[in-house]
Amino acid sequence: MRADLLILALVVGACTWAFRFFPTRADLSALPAGGWLSRFLAATGPAAIATLFTASALPLLQGGAPLQLAAGTATVVGLFLATRSVVVATLAGGLVYGLVFAAIKVMV
Amino acid sequence: MNESRPSTFGHGLLAALPIALGYFPIAFAFGVAATGQGLTAVEAVALSLIIYAGAAQFLALALITGGAPLVVAAFTLIAMNLRHLLYGPALMKRAGPGARRRHAWAWAFGLTDEVFGAALGQLARGRSFSEPFMFGLGLGAYAAWVSGTALGAWAGGGALAGYPAIEAGLGFLLPALFLALLLSILTRLQLPVIAVAAVATVAVTLLWSGTAGILAGMVAGALAGVAGLGGRGDAR
Repeated sequence: MRADLLILALVVGACTWAFRFFPTRADLSALPAGGWLSRFLAATGPAAIATLFTASALPLLQGGAPLQLAAGTATVVGLFLATRSVVVATLAGGLVYGLVFAAIKVMV
Repeated sequence: MNESRPSTFGHGLLAALPIALGYFPIAFAFGVAATGQGLTAVEAVALSLIIYAGAAQFLALALITGGAPLVVAAFTLIAMNLRHLLYGPALMKRAGPGARRRHAWAWAFGLTDEVFGAALGQLARGRSFSEPFMFGLGLGAYAAWVSGTALGAWAGGGALAGYPAIEAGLGFLLPALFLALLLSILTRLQLPVIAVAAVATVAVTLLWSGTAGILAGMVAGALAGVAGLGGRGDAR
C-alpha cells in the first residue's frame, strides 16, 4: 500500500473517529429542559435525517428519474405506515424503484 | 412510546439489516470505482476499514486521482466529516442521563449517518439505549461496508453494467432507508424543523455544493429547533 494513501486514510480516519467519539462524552445532565441547547440537540436528529434523505434523493430527481422516485417514495411511505417496519419499507422501496425503472426502459 | 425494552447485541444486528442492505451495494460501487481508478484491492479495502465514511471515501478517490496535495485532500475530507460532531450529543441526550458510555470510544467509531439515524429511530420507538445494542448496530453496518468494498474491488469495473434495473433499485436503497428512518422518528412538532432542513439542503446544494448543502441543512434545521419550531426539546 502506498505510504501517502495510508497516511491520508489514517489522518482522516482518526479525525472522523474523534468527531464521532468525543462529543458522546459531553455532560448533558446539567442542561435545563427547554433551554436553547436542549432544543438544538433535540432538533439535530430529525434535521440530520431529513437532510440526508433530501441530499440522497436530490441527485435522483436531477438525473431525470421522477417517476421511479415518486413510486419508490410512495412505496416507502405507504409500507411504513402499514407495517411500521423500516426493513420492509426500505426493501420494498428499492424493489419498486427498480421495477419502475425497468418498466420505463421497456416502454421507451 | 417510552416503554423500555432490553436492547441486546442481537437487537442491534437486526436493526442494522436495512443499513447493511443499503451499504453493501454502495460499498461495492466504491470498490469498483477505486480499482477502476488505479488503487489496488488492498488500498480500496483499507480506505473502507480506516476512514469508514462513504461520501468522504468517494471524494478521496477524486482527490487522489486528481493529484491533490496530501494536506489539501486531508483538510477537505476532514471538513466533510465535521457534521458527525452533532451526532454524539444528540444521541446521548435521547438515550437519557443514565445511559452508559464506557465503551463509546469503540462503538462511536461506527456512528455513521445511517447508524445514528437508526439508533435514534429505535429509541423513538421505545427501545432502551445500551452499549451492546450500539455494538451490534455498528458492527452489522461496518461488516457490510467492508465486505461490499472487498467484493467490488474483486469484481472490478462494470460488474453491474448488464443489470441496470438492479443497479437502479440498489441505488435507491439509501434514500429509502433515510425516508423510513425519518418516518420512524417523525412527530407533528418536528415538521417545521424537517421542512427547514430540507429547503436549506436543496438551496445550498444547488447554489454551492452537496457537502455544503448537507452541513447547511443540518445546522439550519437544528437552529429552527432553537428558535422553538420543534417544540421545547425535552421530550424523550
